[in-house]
Amino acid sequence: MESIFFLLGIGLIFGIAAWFLFIWAVRSGQFDDTEAPKYRMLDDDDEVRNKPKKTKSRKTDK
Amino acid sequence: MSGSETPRPGTVRCEHCMQEAPATAAITAVIDGESRHFCCHGCLGVWEIVHGGSLDAFYSERCDWTPGRPAFTSVDPAEFASLVISDGRTSRIDLSLSGIRCASCVWLVEKVVGRLDGVLSARVNYATRRATIEWRPETVGLEPILSTLSKMGYAPLPGSRTASIDAAAAEKRDLLLRFGTAGFFSMQLMLISAALYAGFFQGMETRYRLAFQLISWALASPVIFYSGFPFLAGAFRSLRSGGANMDVLVALGSLSAYGYSVAMIFTGGEVFFDTSAMIITFILLGRFIEAGSRLKADSALTALAELQPSEARLAGANGETTFVQLGKISKNELIEVIPGDRVPLDGTVAEGSAEVDESMLTGESEPVLKACGSEVYAGTASLTGRLVIRVTAEPGDTLLSRIVRTVEEAQARKAPIQGIADRTAGLFVPATILLAAVTFLWWYFMKNSPVAALMNAVSVLVVACPCALGIATPLAILIGTTSIGRKGILVKGGDIFESVSRTTTVVFDKTGTLTEGRPSITDRIDYGVSDAFMQHCASLEAWSEHPAGKAISAAWKGERLAVDEFRAIAGMGVAGIIGDEAWLAGTPALLQKEEVVLDAAHLREAETLRKEGKTVIFIACGNRLAGLIGLIDTLREEAPAMISSLRTMGLEIIMLTGDNEEVARYVAARCGISDVRANLDPIGKANAIRELKRNGETVLMAGDGINDAPALTEADTGLTLGSATGIALESAGVAILDDDLALVATIIAHARKSFTIIRQNLAWSFSYNLVALSLAVTGMLHPIFSALLMASSSLVVVGNSLRLRKT
Repeated sequence: MESIFFLLGIGLIFGIAAWFLFIWAVRSGQFDDTEAPKYRMLDDDDEVRNKPKKTKSRKTDK
Repeated sequence: MSGSETPRPGTVRCEHCMQEAPATAAITAVIDGESRHFCCHGCLGVWEIVHGGSLDAFYSERCDWTPGRPAFTSVDPAEFASLVISDGRTSRIDLSLSGIRCASCVWLVEKVVGRLDGVLSARVNYATRRATIEWRPETVGLEPILSTLSKMGYAPLPGSRTASIDAAAAEKRDLLLRFGTAGFFSMQLMLISAALYAGFFQGMETRYRLAFQLISWALASPVIFYSGFPFLAGAFRSLRSGGANMDVLVALGSLSAYGYSVAMIFTGGEVFFDTSAMIITFILLGRFIEAGSRLKADSALTALAELQPSEARLAGANGETTFVQLGKISKNELIEVIPGDRVPLDGTVAEGSAEVDESMLTGESEPVLKACGSEVYAGTASLTGRLVIRVTAEPGDTLLSRIVRTVEEAQARKAPIQGIADRTAGLFVPATILLAAVTFLWWYFMKNSPVAALMNAVSVLVVACPCALGIATPLAILIGTTSIGRKGILVKGGDIFESVSRTTTVVFDKTGTLTEGRPSITDRIDYGVSDAFMQHCASLEAWSEHPAGKAISAAWKGERLAVDEFRAIAGMGVAGIIGDEAWLAGTPALLQKEEVVLDAAHLREAETLRKEGKTVIFIACGNRLAGLIGLIDTLREEAPAMISSLRTMGLEIIMLTGDNEEVARYVAARCGISDVRANLDPIGKANAIRELKRNGETVLMAGDGINDAPALTEADTGLTLGSATGIALESAGVAILDDDLALVATIIAHARKSFTIIRQNLAWSFSYNLVALSLAVTGMLHPIFSALLMASSSLVVVGNSLRLRKT
């Protein structure tokens, strides 16, 4: 029966980890726009021409 | 998209804004060996930016595009300098953009700005219409970024104009954090509580129970004191000012369960941390949903308010113009509006003429010709000519700002039935506290049992928490209005929704409501006075705003003749000079006024047409009748079925129209209406409705927003069809966005259903509170069961309200 404390502890750690993840997500604006991202995958990235630097290919991560 | 339509003769369609422009005034540019037409240099400029970046996909992807020229505003970088956050190597700005209409706008801005040299990233948030741009200050400055944005027509807005939206977005984020936190901890807490409940029935070792109780305490505390902080603060404020609102009950219910549980940990009793946390979590969920819908409404409003420019060209005495802030312009001053500009203030035209796009106010997509003496409204866009306008309204008093205010006020409205819950809450809180105190004292002294006294008093407090009562009405209205909102029906407020549900008589306007509102020509009777009859008619009616005139004008595809001295005689017809002959088109009354000879044979012929439900336009040349044109406005397909379903709901149906008796009877008979009142002007319609109301009827009036405005305002509920525009919303409480008449029956049926459910909810929560309280007072209800009852009563109300999602 002692293992119950151990299991409870693990449960709480996971729960609190998820909570921190959630706080991070809200703070960094992941929930701000639920409309546009679903269209983003449909955009053709035709950036082969006149592309001066490589910097822009990484702008999807925020 | 309107790109596929062929432009009218003599005009070309602008490649960028999709508007028709006179071929003579259009700009033609040869690009890549192909000649393309633009209405102005602005559109050409934007097109070049898009094309130059090989982003032509924008034109095939854009949807929901309102034809219109980009609004060019000069941007002052100094206004934005304070928004820049810089860490030395990179700079960042977060700003609001105007003119973001759909996902392809987002795409275009991100691509064009993202490709500027030195810009690291550009992200546009579609929901909040904000852009976040990062750049290297040593490569590129803020100024070129801002000017690129405004050159594309997405002018950045300084913070002052978007403060309310920002505040709402921040509030929503804050609520999300609080609600999310409450959700996470409540889930963990329920897990532990389930174990404790099991222990209560089956027995449990004390040390395990104590450990579980301590963990519950730790999990419940953040929910109460962080997530529940807005309620605690609200309750405190309310108590300090001597009142008692719902916040007091929420705080009291939650805190008493919490406080009691803490005490029980040390005395070895049962704990109810789950009760205290769940109260907060459920109510936060409600607030979160509410904040989301408010934010959406707010940004729609801001988009409307943005139509009003912030500066105007003040015309000086010597013909020169200066840019002046709107606040510094007073009535009767002259301002100038050039083609492509938006009218900054309401006024009358003092000089010049232009086609003006009023679609944002009236929903009418065809531009309207404005000349000397015409009224123009702030926010509308001049398309073709230069106007000098005498200002008649202060900036805060324009039609546009009145509309924005009306919509804002509407959002704050509550259904009267909600008052029952609110008034009850005012009495409920003190009564509950009193009852809990009496219960405690009675058990303490009469039964001499301190533990039972405390338990029963808490039972009273917990079970009395009027969550069910509090959410009974708002939740049902929220679900009810959003579910019909998905069908394209907008309801301005809970009170409107309630009066829709009480409707006893439905009044319809004929033209444009029961009928399509687009008459088509059925008969042309040419008396041979002129050899080009239709060409003359069409030329004369070309600038008419009347639907019949538009139909006649559209019926002639060939060249148009020049019309001099054109004038429209309101309610009668139009007149003008073509060649050297005076032409008239309109009612017999107009012709008689102008002394045109009408003989009995002509009138009989007109009468025959009218009997077939047709509107007859008399055409005269000089003082002779040149011909008759018969038009029919087809009945909407869905009208007869909708009328009969309204009748099965037990509603009286009446038709009001400005048209003549014969036409009205014909249409009424076809859709099954027996009560018809014809030949009414807008005021007459309003009087007819007032008469109905005096006889005790609750009236719903369905009509179009502009001509029927007085009647719509007079009726208990005004309903407009097909044009979701400002004017419609100012006079009507319900707007049906789709052009589907069948939805009139849907909204009435749905409103009735919603209020049946609200009454069920209220009846349930009142009787629940009565029964549960009497059980709690007599000590028959253990706090565990009272908490369970409390939660289940809310669930009953939620479940019952969710039935409204199916329409």
